[in-house]
Amino acid sequence: MKKRSSKAVTLLLITSVLASCNKPKAENEEIAQKVFMRADSTAPYTEVTQNYSEQRNGGSGMGSALLWYMAFRHMGGGLGYASGGLNQKSVVGNNPAKALAYNKAVSRGGFGKTSATTSSNTKAGS
Amino acid sequence: MKIKHLVKDTNWQNRVENLGYGYHSENGIPYWIDDYYFSISESFADEIYKATTELWQMCLVAVEHVIENKKYHLFHIPNYFHHHIERSWNNETPSIYGRFDFAYDQVRNQLKMLEFNADTPTSLFECGVVQWHWMQHYFGNSKDQFNSVHEQLVNSWKEIKPYLKGESLHFTCVRESLEDLSNVEYLRDCAIQAGIQTQLLYIDEIGWNGSNFVDLQDQPITDIFKLYPWEWMVNEEYGHHIANDILEAQWIEPSWKMILSNKAILAVLWELYPHHPLLLETYFHDPKNMTSFVKKPLLSREGSNISVISNNKIIESTTGDYGHEGFIYQQLATLIKNHSGYSIIGSWIIGQESCGISFRESDSLITNDRSRFIPHVIE
Repeated sequence: MKKRSSKAVTLLLITSVLASCNKPKAENEEIAQKVFMRADSTAPYTEVTQNYSEQRNGGSGMGSALLWYMAFRHMGGGLGYASGGLNQKSVVGNNPAKALAYNKAVSRGGFGKTSATTSSNTKAGS
Repeated sequence: MKIKHLVKDTNWQNRVENLGYGYHSENGIPYWIDDYYFSISESFADEIYKATTELWQMCLVAVEHVIENKKYHLFHIPNYFHHHIERSWNNETPSIYGRFDFAYDQVRNQLKMLEFNADTPTSLFECGVVQWHWMQHYFGNSKDQFNSVHEQLVNSWKEIKPYLKGESLHFTCVRESLEDLSNVEYLRDCAIQAGIQTQLLYIDEIGWNGSNFVDLQDQPITDIFKLYPWEWMVNEEYGHHIANDILEAQWIEPSWKMILSNKAILAVLWELYPHHPLLLETYFHDPKNMTSFVKKPLLSREGSNISVISNNKIIESTTGDYGHEGFIYQQLATLIKNHSGYSIIGSWIIGQESCGISFRESDSLITNDRSRFIPHVIE
């Protein structure tokens, strides 16, 4: 019989982390601490406890995998780091050059709105 | 072909989660079926392989027909985007995958194409990875499976690599769906194994700098795989930017797949290949003389806004947000029926190759996002 299945299936990426996103929370796993973050040492902190909690619990489907994967990006030019998950005041601090770079001509958010307004449960695959 | 039962593995959730499969259940109800499966013959696997290969060729002819005759109005594709579709077709912008859905009549031994998920098909991860490991767990190497999805994905990315315009291939999907993210990460994993440099960002993080698309580091996007429907993209704020992009980024799946992922293609195929044994009779506008048919929106997803009519009576229907663009009327097909439900067959074409199948089982005639995934073996 002609062998039809793959000889081996190995993965390199973060699949085990993805799987953990959907695990139900243990009863005694309530998060007591509040979580604050900032992306600049001159900036005030933003509380992200809710985001953190949702990700730990599987919440809306997003997981901790992506929290560590891309929460902070390096801006280059000695400007340090930025994160779209934080309030802007916690990203730029009192660094006007960083504020300028953060707000420069690039616009974002022009794709993705339809998924939030359909009844397909935010999923785009079919 | 028949359903066979296994002794339930009480640890199955942990087993599949260790593979990275985090959406095996919803609200405690399994979407992944671990303790029964479809047993199919090698000749049946051959039949699906041949049908998939033949339909893929027919679909390519149909795309050529639609483009040559500019039949975009049948698909409700915006005027401004016709040129982009033609450019992606003429430039042979790479395509990686698609999934045909088949009905199978067990009495007549007849496969019929229900539709082609050509743009944003999912269940790839459970087919290529979870299903394969499921077979290893229960049967080791003693059984076979129509499932070289993983190998074919890696090979196809290798073939695509020389045609990428830039050094990095971006991948994107929506934020809120673990299922979509897992499918995209699986595709990205295979691309990495093919030696491609990759980056992931969410669809709403894609930036526009006035002349081209950029990633989170403001670096140009030249090649990008998106798990996000074309019909949504072209109607969103950045839709026109796709056509105005000076870098002419290669979007995968390419925009010519808009023609195949639209159910209007089912009526076009029937016009081009009337009475073809793999096709169901399908029309625009009305059911003609059919008394048993399914009314489907051109752009419906996950079984929304479908009506099933048998002997001129509605026997099933679903609600949803679709149907504004119009409907097609498709002959009612006979589905695989077992004690546990109705099943359809998903058949993957990756690169240019038919390479794997999956079964989806539903309590009703209409397959939706709660339909169960059933593994299979050839024996």
